[in-house]
Amino acid sequence: MGPAAPKLTPRRSDGYTVVEFIVPRQPPAFLVVTLPPVCRDNTNSANVQLDVQLGRLRLRNPIAVASGTFGYAREMAGLVDLARLGAILPKTITRDPRPGNPPPRSVETTGGMLNSIGLNNDGLDEFIQRKMPYLADLGTAIIVSIAGRTREDFVDLATRLDGVPGIAALELNVSCPNVSGGVDFGTNPDACRQVVAGVRQACSLPVLAKLTPNVTDVALIARAAEEGGADAISLINTCLGMAVDWRRRRAILGNVLGGLSGPAIKPIALRAVYQVARAVEVPVMGIGGIATIDDVMEFLVAGATAVQIGTANFYNPTASMQILDALPTALAELGARSVADVVGTMTERK
Amino acid sequence: MSEPCPRTSYADNAWQGTCRVEENVRVARDTYRLRLACPEIAQRILPGQFLMLRLTAGNDPLLGRPLALYDVYSHCDSSPDAVQVVYLVVGKMTTLLAEIKPGATIDAWGPLGNGFEARPTEHLVMVAGGIGQTPFPAVARECLGLHCYGEPRRQVPRAKKVTLCYGVRSSEYLAGVDDFERLGVEVHVSTDDGSAGHHGLVTDVARSVIERSDAACRMVCCGPEPMLAATAELARELNVPCEVSLERAMACGIGACFSCVAKVRDPSGNWTYRRTCIEGPVFDAAGVEF
Ligand SMILES: Cc1cc2nc3c(=O)[nH]c(=O)nc-3n(C[C@H](O)[C@H](O)[C@H](O)COP(=O)(O)OP(=O)(O)OC[C@H]3O[C@@H](n4cnc5c(N)ncnc54)[C@H](O)[C@@H]3O)c2cc1C
Ligand SMILES: Cc1cc2nc3c(=O)[nH]c(=O)nc-3n(C[C@H](O)[C@H](O)[C@H](O)COP(=O)(O)O)c2cc1C
Ligand code: FES
Repeated sequence: MGPAAPKLTPRRSDGYTVVEFIVPRQPPAFLVVTLPPVCRDNTNSANVQLDVQLGRLRLRNPIAVASGTFGYAREMAGLVDLARLGAILPKTITRDPRPGNPPPRSVETTGGMLNSIGLNNDGLDEFIQRKMPYLADLGTAIIVSIAGRTREDFVDLATRLDGVPGIAALELNVSCPNVSGGVDFGTNPDACRQVVAGVRQACSLPVLAKLTPNVTDVALIARAAEEGGADAISLINTCLGMAVDWRRRRAILGNVLGGLSGPAIKPIALRAVYQVARAVEVPVMGIGGIATIDDVMEFLVAGATAVQIGTANFYNPTASMQILDALPTALAELGARSVADVVGTMTERK
Repeated sequence: MSEPCPRTSYADNAWQGTCRVEENVRVARDTYRLRLACPEIAQRILPGQFLMLRLTAGNDPLLGRPLALYDVYSHCDSSPDAVQVVYLVVGKMTTLLAEIKPGATIDAWGPLGNGFEARPTEHLVMVAGGIGQTPFPAVARECLGLHCYGEPRRQVPRAKKVTLCYGVRSSEYLAGVDDFERLGVEVHVSTDDGSAGHHGLVTDVARSVIERSDAACRMVCCGPEPMLAATAELARELNVPCEVSLERAMACGIGACFSCVAKVRDPSGNWTYRRTCIEGPVFDAAGVEF
């Protein structure tokens, strides 16, 4: 028998995962365990600690779902065991309701998709009254993503969300490419520092700043967010792009430009995470094209303390569950006893 | 309307997994019928609901593709254990799908969407444009009392008559007419080029069917947007209740992304964007802003 290398067989059609592992320093033994969906977290057979710390925010595991790719979580409840997730980021909210952009709002491109949803949401009041009670009951950290046109909008949102039961942290979406106004905070270091500082002052919740890759030097913006008091930096939001229908000589998206996401942007996201993790002291949450356990491990090693899964939720609604099933084993493969043991452990290349 | 409109339907009884292809046969020009072994979906799905399909291997195409339930299938007399979809080859995924052989696998998740309402009807008039006929075999079968769909089995009062008004570009695109006739559906065909049936618009056929009917009619409609709009207008003019199934570009099919929105009016006449994957694809025609 080989070394203690637990092996995950592919997902079975019934959604269960078969875990085979060999117990180390024991007489050769073979165990085949079929875990019921409710307690699959017990795959922590290697005794790897999964909890992570993002500034003042503690998550039970590093696997979160990204804002705008998981609805308000209720939509996913039929297929995903929401209580297992490290954190849920509901779709970004604004103070006032926004209808969003005209359709078509998304189109597939090679290895990814473009979207121009335009922060379609019912506004803060509806969110607090209709969505928060459900989210607060899930037993999972809820990181509320907020966006505004002005610093005052962000501060106002933060003030009113402070004290709403069930919120673990705020993520400042200073990076949405689909609305005019908001993105300045993600491209201008001073504006970014000020908006983060304003929110920090206005509320007691941990604050994450979500950054755009559509800048010359993302580390510069990340440092500004850190100076403003961000507990952590999350990145990346989508990469600005477009798709053209040449026969009709027009853009495919109703809003002409859109944000590219999915596997196609993973190298950009990894690069951004790597650069930012080396430039700031605060932890980084990696986002961009993550769909498998290998993707997650790449981000952790490159410097992310936790990750968010986005577009993969669309084409494999249970991607987050499959990743959670595989995480302890993958960490153990590197000899890690906790997630922190692998974060930012890339060796130098000459 | 008896039910709140739009009717939201979360994917609470959805199943996701890998299914075996049992059959993939050409049924008309560029049109194929695919049967997937999938008892979980087959037993739960309702007429007008859809499923997402994705090739098991690879990331191109990346996203799942929505396809309506054509009908469920039972290998023996017991409960259904396979789902059938009928698709038109239009792009990346459907081109690859047409190559798939029985025995291969495909990823699927569903049932998704709200489906058609189970309402008592005397005379059901189904109006289909092109590949928009696909939701209707199941609708007809349920309405004629030939099968109860869903879990628990949904009971629908039996209609006296079911008619299909089926418009296509030309006769070679007609798919599944036998399937409808076998169920006892009266089929009226129209073609753009006059190669079969009425030479002209399917809404003209629907109008004459309703005007000649001596029963209380209800319309259900699926097809290209201009046809849906014309049918909604016809329904308003003839004062016939009408539901339309909308087709929008979808990324997730489950309510997560807000890609698939359509303008839907509330009772006071204000429109908002609604997600057609969970608040549709079926809407009361009177509420849709075309
Ligand atoms: C609820 C619902 C139910 C449906 N049910 C059925 C059904 O039962 N049967 C059925 O056949 N279809 C059905 N459809 C439609 C079906 O989902 C699409 O036809 C399918 O997604 C096409 O996938 P594809 O990869 O083959 O095409 P894609 O390659 O994704 O192309 C889709 C369409 O966009 C156009 N397009 C793609 N790329 C471009 C570009 N670069 N520029 C311009 N145009 C472009 C294509 O010509 C094509 O018309 C349904 C849709 C919905 C929303
Ligand atoms: C359809 C869609 C909607 C999105 N909406 C939001 C949003 O409301 N707020 C936000 O911060 N990010 C939003 N994003 C960006 C994602 O959260 C994520 O940062 C980005 O898609 C990259 O990750 P991915 O490649 O894993 O999807 C959206 C992405 C997509 C595809
Ligand atoms: S397709 Fe994603 S919300 Fe409807």
